[in-house]
Amino acid sequence: MDFLRPRTWAEALDLKAARPEATPIQGGTDVMVEINLDKGRPAALLDLTPIPELREWSREGDVIRLGAGVTYSRLIGELEARLPGLAQASRTVGSPQIRNRGTVAGNLGAASPAGDSHPPLLACDAVVEAESVRGARLIPIGEFYTGVKRNALAPDELIRAVRVPVARGPQYFSKIGTRNAMVIAVCSFSIALHAAERRVGTGVGSAAPTPRRAVAAEEFAAARLDWRGRSPLDPDVAGRFGELVAGAAAPIDDVRGRAAYRTHALAVLARRALGWAWADFRAGTGADSSAGSGGGDDRGSQ
Amino acid sequence: MTTRLFGEPVQRREDPRLITGRGRYLDDLGAGALAAAFVRSPHAHARILDVDVSDALDVDGLVAIYTWEDLPGALAEPLPLLIPHPALTHGRTAYPLAREIVRHVGEPVVMVVARDRYLAEDACALIRVGYEVLKPVVGLEEAAGGAHLVHDDVPGNIGAHLVQEVPGPGGETAREAVDAAPHRLEFRLDVERSACTPLEGKGVYARWDADDASLRVYSSTQTSTSVRMAIAAKLGLPLPKVEVVAPDVGGGFGVKIVHPWPEEILVPWAARLLNRELKWTEDRREHFVSSSHERGQVQHVRVGFDDDGRLLGLEVEILHDHGAYTPYGIIVPIITSTQLLGPYKVGAYRVEFSSVYTNTVQVTPYRGAGRPQGVFCMERTMDKIAAYLGRDRTEVRAANFVQPDEFPYDQGLTFQDGRPLIYDSGDYPEALRMLKELIGWDSFPEEKARAAAEGRRIGIGVGCYVEGTGVGPYEGGHVQITSDGRVHVSTGLTSQGQGHETVFAQIAATELGVPIERVSVVTGDTRRFGYAVGTFASRAAVMSGNAIALACRKVREKALRIAAEALEADPRDLEITDGMVHVAGAPSASIPLATVAVLSNPLRYAFDEEAKRATQFAGPASDDRPPVAEGEEPGLEGRDYYSPVRSTFAAGMHAAIVETDPDTAEIRILRYAVVHDCGRLINPMIVEGQIHGGVAQGVGGALYEKMVYDEHGQLLNASFMDFLMPYATEIPRIETAHLETPSPLNPLGIKGAGEAGVIPVSAVLAAAIEDAEGIPIDRMPISPSDLHTLRRSR
Repeated sequence: MDFLRPRTWAEALDLKAARPEATPIQGGTDVMVEINLDKGRPAALLDLTPIPELREWSREGDVIRLGAGVTYSRLIGELEARLPGLAQASRTVGSPQIRNRGTVAGNLGAASPAGDSHPPLLACDAVVEAESVRGARLIPIGEFYTGVKRNALAPDELIRAVRVPVARGPQYFSKIGTRNAMVIAVCSFSIALHAAERRVGTGVGSAAPTPRRAVAAEEFAAARLDWRGRSPLDPDVAGRFGELVAGAAAPIDDVRGRAAYRTHALAVLARRALGWAWADFRAGTGADSSAGSGGGDDRGSQ
Repeated sequence: MTTRLFGEPVQRREDPRLITGRGRYLDDLGAGALAAAFVRSPHAHARILDVDVSDALDVDGLVAIYTWEDLPGALAEPLPLLIPHPALTHGRTAYPLAREIVRHVGEPVVMVVARDRYLAEDACALIRVGYEVLKPVVGLEEAAGGAHLVHDDVPGNIGAHLVQEVPGPGGETAREAVDAAPHRLEFRLDVERSACTPLEGKGVYARWDADDASLRVYSSTQTSTSVRMAIAAKLGLPLPKVEVVAPDVGGGFGVKIVHPWPEEILVPWAARLLNRELKWTEDRREHFVSSSHERGQVQHVRVGFDDDGRLLGLEVEILHDHGAYTPYGIIVPIITSTQLLGPYKVGAYRVEFSSVYTNTVQVTPYRGAGRPQGVFCMERTMDKIAAYLGRDRTEVRAANFVQPDEFPYDQGLTFQDGRPLIYDSGDYPEALRMLKELIGWDSFPEEKARAAAEGRRIGIGVGCYVEGTGVGPYEGGHVQITSDGRVHVSTGLTSQGQGHETVFAQIAATELGVPIERVSVVTGDTRRFGYAVGTFASRAAVMSGNAIALACRKVREKALRIAAEALEADPRDLEITDGMVHVAGAPSASIPLATVAVLSNPLRYAFDEEAKRATQFAGPASDDRPPVAEGEEPGLEGRDYYSPVRSTFAAGMHAAIVETDPDTAEIRILRYAVVHDCGRLINPMIVEGQIHGGVAQGVGGALYEKMVYDEHGQLLNASFMDFLMPYATEIPRIETAHLETPSPLNPLGIKGAGEAGVIPVSAVLAAAIEDAEGIPIDRMPISPSDLHTLRRSR
């Protein structure tokens, strides 16, 4: 196995073009696990850790551009107010040691249906910034996941950054695991209220071959929530929302849980998450419109 | 004042070393050694057609490749069947490297030796083994059906079949008693597989000294003395030329009492053959697929009882899964079928078990060793009786208790050590009273009602057990006081973090009257002590603790005799305090133990100050007596053994309050209470630590851990990603109360405590979940997904 260690982003793109079979590695929290479990041995590892600009994030208008090397720990520490859904999901990833190494871009690269960052990225309409020697392109998150552990990257492309819109309303992430910590999700769900547009974003994890949105649930909730009057959430609406989210799933039976349980639990998670988000919206709390002009740095690096 | 440390919560003396990274575990040793790695079977059942090593030969740094054909003499024979039993009519053990047939995924087929582990693994990857895949036998009932065989010569896959019967008070059989009882229940219970999963897996490091023709082996084992004997026998070496040392061991929980593991004889053999240091350290996946599992059983129960819930007859049929081989005999189902009785008098009892082969990892004792299954069976039975009669669950238990004035109480069965199952002491009604008070049993119904009013589901459960501890045949202790006043204690059994360096030092310091700082303890090193059995069955404190106390008493007696002569006093008037022997009530007439140690040896070169000081006491040698009198030995040391007639019987009762989420079926333990009786406590803090660890392991077994095999015999969750050990986030605060009913069987009055914490946890949590949900819980472990399925199937 070759170990490729570019010093610059340009060099990394050159190497990926020359060796498209090389597996990029950043925190190693997915790649090394696969290697240790003998689930294939890549011909080459492309180590992206030396490239400084990957470790930076910056604010560009209403979007946070999250470098591919920004760890979950930093995301939690530096971006919680602006990306609350993603920060909540990041808190549920592994252990502190794993959060100190792992990255959202790594989650995207692995494209496991159980990856914790996928549901909030879907709910927030994130965009993946891919690049190769041929140039850069933006891939809407909804088009990114193409199959179990497969994504839309071309063989010569690397993830440069993820662009996540700053929250314009309450966001929540909720996950059921087989244990309270350090587990792979049995199912997970994220919601984002895009209050200005009177729109609801969703993301469903670990319940289908790919992470996915629950579009019917989004449309139903957007139409039925009392955005202007901010009246309390109708329990029937919450329940129906949960059912529609569950209906978007196509789970399987495996060692972590049965399909029927996943579907059921997803409905519960979705119902609860909508309840929390709506309560925040009514109270005017949670990450909302104020975050746009609020304090905090506009960039971060390490 | 005497130095009294027995019974005190002395801080663990090994912890500063172990928690600051200064422990020396197997893989910390032998940095320059060659490395061994193994090609293991990817199939659950297959015939080996050929082994092609040609590609591996190109690996730079490869040293050797071995298959079964290369093994000489006794090494080529099947591994020993450690504990034969007449009922084990078809015992089978594996070869160190597979011969012709592999019977579980993970069975070793080829051993590779290379310059380092990376190269050894690379070579393994290049070795091609041709297999003819055979039909795997997976699942207890499939195996018992006997449609396909694990071993061609074991019909029906039945390795052992055993029936034990105790007639009722009127001589009636269990069948008759159940049939004639006013009330009867019949049901089935299931317990799934789990495993010890110590954080440090197995490991072996061997050094052959060609000049001395001797072998030193370090093994992460629970029994260095027996590993030593196995190596000497399998390699044809004289026993005195083999030393085995258990270094710091990162947990055992039973899996490391099995010996010799294939690697424990293959690594020393190759080290000698190659005349090079050689080491093998097990990786996590290897541990999952090539060590041992336990717990898997199906139980069919028939019980008859009266209006008070008093048992009149109990019939239990157990189907026990022992995996592909039976190196440890049928200890586990024997313990299940005997310890199932717990603190109860069951009237007429009949237990029958069949122990069956499957194409899965072998089954050997895991902390609790069959007791968790037995207690699950009995405690579920008690709860079902209470539910049927509409009585309080603790009342039904109390109606069946062996009473304090009935000890010694003979259950009429034969226990794991082949001796009668006779309980030595206990006070079960008092333990239950303490537990009910601790958990607030009587006020729980109001608490439950309050929770229900808030839409919350909570439930309470209780579980009782009796645990045979401190099984024989013996352990020994050696105690030496050197002329610097230090006390060196050694015992042959091993340590895996239990706190032996602390409790054995407490015993020695108390017996000898010396400060604990002067006492050092060595365990599991055959250079220091050659005869031992091992650390398992909650026996270390009982066995080695008493042996060390007896050895100390010998040393003390000798010290007093020598000191009496020096002080011209009567030994009966002497005491030892803080390492000084003195006349009781006259502290000025004293002599340090260090000086006594010098006086004990007629060869007295003045190497140190103590030796010089001793000359003032040296009496004139009598010309007509030998310097070492007849029957005497030079030195201030003593050795003794403790060998009990039979086991002690510790007991305990646990209670838990759980909450289940009405939506997600998640299960949370709100409170966990333990009343624990292990006789006299040497160190309550260490006992509580043992209980905490045991309860945590029990919570794992009840709610998280299982071995998921598919129909091909592949273990689907062979990693810590999906085999879920509980973390601090899953373990509640454990509330503990101690009851001390001393054992009349040994000088210190102690019983074992190592396994206690784990034993009733599945029974207790099943009961609490059942109480919260109102759904019978007959299968453990239970996950939220399982509970959801149960709710739906109502």
